[in-house]
Amino acid sequence: MSTEEYEYAEEQPTSDMDYHFDCKPDFSFLTVQIPANETLKVEASAMATMDTNIKMKTKLKGGLGRFLTGENLFVNEFTAENGPGEIGIAPGAPGDMEHVHLSGSSIFLQNSAFVCASMGIDVETKWQGFMKGFFSGEGLFLIKCSGEGDLWFSTYGAMIPIDVDGEYTVDNNFIVAFEDTLEYSVGSVGGYKSLFFSEGLVCHFQGKGRLWIQTRQCPAFAGWLHPFRPVKSKN
Amino acid sequence: MDTQIDNGPGAASAFIQLAPGETITSESGAMIAMNGCQISTTTHKRKSGNIFGGLKRMLGGESFFMNHYTAYNEGGEVWLATTLAGDMAEVNVEAGTKIVVQSGSYVASEDGVEVNLDWQGFKSLFAKEGLFWINLSGSGKAIINSFGAIYTIDCDGEYIVDTGHIVAFEETLSFKLSKAGKSWLSSILGGEGLVCKFSGTGRIWVQSHHASNFGHSLGPLLRPRKQ
Repeated sequence: MSTEEYEYAEEQPTSDMDYHFDCKPDFSFLTVQIPANETLKVEASAMATMDTNIKMKTKLKGGLGRFLTGENLFVNEFTAENGPGEIGIAPGAPGDMEHVHLSGSSIFLQNSAFVCASMGIDVETKWQGFMKGFFSGEGLFLIKCSGEGDLWFSTYGAMIPIDVDGEYTVDNNFIVAFEDTLEYSVGSVGGYKSLFFSEGLVCHFQGKGRLWIQTRQCPAFAGWLHPFRPVKSKN
Repeated sequence: MDTQIDNGPGAASAFIQLAPGETITSESGAMIAMNGCQISTTTHKRKSGNIFGGLKRMLGGESFFMNHYTAYNEGGEVWLATTLAGDMAEVNVEAGTKIVVQSGSYVASEDGVEVNLDWQGFKSLFAKEGLFWINLSGSGKAIINSFGAIYTIDCDGEYIVDTGHIVAFEETLSFKLSKAGKSWLSSILGGEGLVCKFSGTGRIWVQSHHASNFGHSLGPLLRPRKQ
């Protein structure tokens, strides 16, 4: 078991599209330069600003089956026509963002973590072994991103990468993403109690690869908010 | 425990490294991830009854869950989170001095620190929002979190702090609660409207933002609850 010292890479790693982040890790904002006639697929409602020559098309990723499970991934495709275009993207939850460039490998993302990707990245909502995440773990809705291109994902709170070499255990509510070189299994840990109203499920990772976790979870915030909700009147 | 706090003041996290056999305690729900530790849970019963009726409903009983992490032979590591967008700080509990911490701010502590859930000093302050006050004694390090940034005030004489901004303070200080404004109207309309006047010598940990005010501003926008 080892965790390497992590330093945020100030220089961008390889990417096909030029981009930069602002206001990390609390209110991360992404700006991407889409080259002429190229397309960026972006999570619905995440586009904040864009050049006037960028045109948008809406797609429902994963089709009807996914829609019925309650986990939607509405994706808008933004194409820069007649020239390059700049687009500003802000995910719904205040937090951090990360970029990875995939060349043949795959990354599993928590459904809500997807921000945007270049067209060479395939976003799958079902794949072999998909049952493991979907049925055995409450709230662990994973999507699989693979192919060749750029992928950006976000968190609620700050993001911390962990280079796993051996084993690691993560509470389900804090998992953001992980490389497909890691084996994962969802279960409970004897003696572990998470939030009062939560199942306390964790994900055990094994192998060698990078795992990303976030420093806050929405259920804890929702639980804290509960007493502030108005009480239903009896009439 | 060897603690490293990063990503403050807005999204703080604590990375704790444990020596083989070392144990730390943390509130349930705080763990992000861990490796090399055995986890057990204890339920802490609270002795007092009525005031915490609201709390009892929130937690489903007069108890508070604590997780204990004990590192195996190779040592272990634990990542801990904050509940709200905010900061984290490590405090030293020294033998002979007790530190009072708001329950929402307690994150974790070493084995040598005793965590007592029945501190009566502020009684019902924020009780209906599920908060109570914890007394830390013994000797060792503890981790606290906040809503907003944490800053410390070393009081030597007198200092007034709005009660919603108190994260923790040393019990060497005496304190007196009083209403902030001239009338009770402003106090009632404004929520608590109480300030705490500390006197003596001791450290106070303060948070830059008022969690209850934030909660009250969101509350009316949310769906009503049954009870």
